[in-house]
Amino acid sequence: MIWDILIRAFIIGALLSVLLSVISYFVVMRKMTFAGVGIAHSAFGGIALNFLLGFTTYAFPLFFSIVASLIIAFMYKRGNMTEDSAIDLIFIFSMAFGVFILSISDGYSANMLGILFGNILSVNNGDLYLSVVVFIFGLTFMSYYFSHFQLITYNEELAEISGIKTTLLYYLFWLVLSVVIVLSIKLIGIILVNAFLVLPTLVGLNISRNYKGVVLTAAISSVLSIAAGISASYALNTPAGATIVLAYVTIWIFSLIYKKIKT
Amino acid sequence: MIKFKNINVKFNEKSILKDINVSIKTGEFLGILGPNGAGKTTFIKVLLGLIEPTSGVVLIKGKKPKEFLMQNKGFVGYLPQHAIVNWNLPIRVIDAVLIDNIKPFGLFRKYKKKELEKVHYWLEKFGIENKMYNYIRELSGGQQQRVSLSRCMINNPKLLILDEPNTAIDAVYNVKLYDILKEINKEKKVTIVMVSHDIGAVTAYVDEVMCLNVKIHCHNFANNIDYSTVIKNLYGEDMNIVVHGDECKNCTVNRLKQ
Repeated sequence: MIWDILIRAFIIGALLSVLLSVISYFVVMRKMTFAGVGIAHSAFGGIALNFLLGFTTYAFPLFFSIVASLIIAFMYKRGNMTEDSAIDLIFIFSMAFGVFILSISDGYSANMLGILFGNILSVNNGDLYLSVVVFIFGLTFMSYYFSHFQLITYNEELAEISGIKTTLLYYLFWLVLSVVIVLSIKLIGIILVNAFLVLPTLVGLNISRNYKGVVLTAAISSVLSIAAGISASYALNTPAGATIVLAYVTIWIFSLIYKKIKT
Repeated sequence: MIKFKNINVKFNEKSILKDINVSIKTGEFLGILGPNGAGKTTFIKVLLGLIEPTSGVVLIKGKKPKEFLMQNKGFVGYLPQHAIVNWNLPIRVIDAVLIDNIKPFGLFRKYKKKELEKVHYWLEKFGIENKMYNYIRELSGGQQQRVSLSRCMINNPKLLILDEPNTAIDAVYNVKLYDILKEINKEKKVTIVMVSHDIGAVTAYVDEVMCLNVKIHCHNFANNIDYSTVIKNLYGEDMNIVVHGDECKNCTVNRLKQ
């Protein structure tokens, strides 16, 4: 029984983290990590509504994070100087709304911890199937449009002149990111999911100088951190989400030492 | 080839471009001069369809820029300002030169021999063929600019639009750069529209000069033009200019009236 849970958690974690690794490359290169933080936290309100209404559906968290991501993407697209403030506003609204809703539902403390830091016992076969579908669609989308996103990241004007529908791709990117984040929250939690938006590419940049190497290293290190984190969490009886992230930070420290030695 | 008809661009009720009427002929080398905030980059962006004018119309071969460029990919080579390119990407020079040759599933892309030869040709032209496999973030600003110029030329464009091509380029290579641009213009019959602050070079190398400061203050320097008035209108104050003749044989320094 416990092995079923661990293996299922590992597969879900590995699939989603590989997809997040590819997305992370563009999030870091475009300096949009705070936007990712905002989207992840915006799901909190939706998850809290689930608890209040007794649902286990992804509909509410998805709705909250997609609306938030579209607003944030719009602010970035406009190049408005107050975009960080807008993200912060969405962030604090969702958190406050979530806490308010949770406080009038049962099991406030237990639910709160699970949402913020993940709960390995909460993932089921339905999550696994959904993760497989999202992984296939998400990775195909990101791989197919990789050169397009690379050019947009290099210089958006060149991308527009090349005939790329930059606005459409931009919003689709945030849509995919929202879906992956919401699916990942169950396993590693809202606060810790942000680690997978930053750490994969930071590790990749420490190990490789080339974008292919960066993305490949990011994906491998993500899967390693999921495996190491779940194993350690089982052995030490610690929360899986936090242990996974601690494992990833350890990998990042080793990658940094490798970089220092190499240079 | 290109026609600007009564173009006006306003941002927040402020005029950036006003009553712009200009034609650019095929094979022309046009230099655009003007102070900071004169609307030079906006002029280029309107030409590329990146900014919609508030009123008026721009036509490239009779079609609106977006429509024309969509139907004629590779027609234009565009060099944006150096500062708005993301030089931190972990890509090599070869990747940067071929970056707008978009291919699906580009993460797994391998370059063809023909592509490598073309990249080498243009890098050699701009004197950085030994940097082909270097990473762009490890290059100097001037070398990065030459990478951008190679990228502009990789698809043999018919129209080259350059926004301050000599940014970060040293004085020695600057002359060489203008020689190459002149050669591209004359031998490959490429129409060039170039924004520059380098008044001396612009007047020496280009066929036509357009002085822009929201409005067009002059289009081409006729022999009998009063430089002092034009420059003062353009920049708002007196300044020293070096007026070049062909190949700079008869350079004269004009000290404009205080």
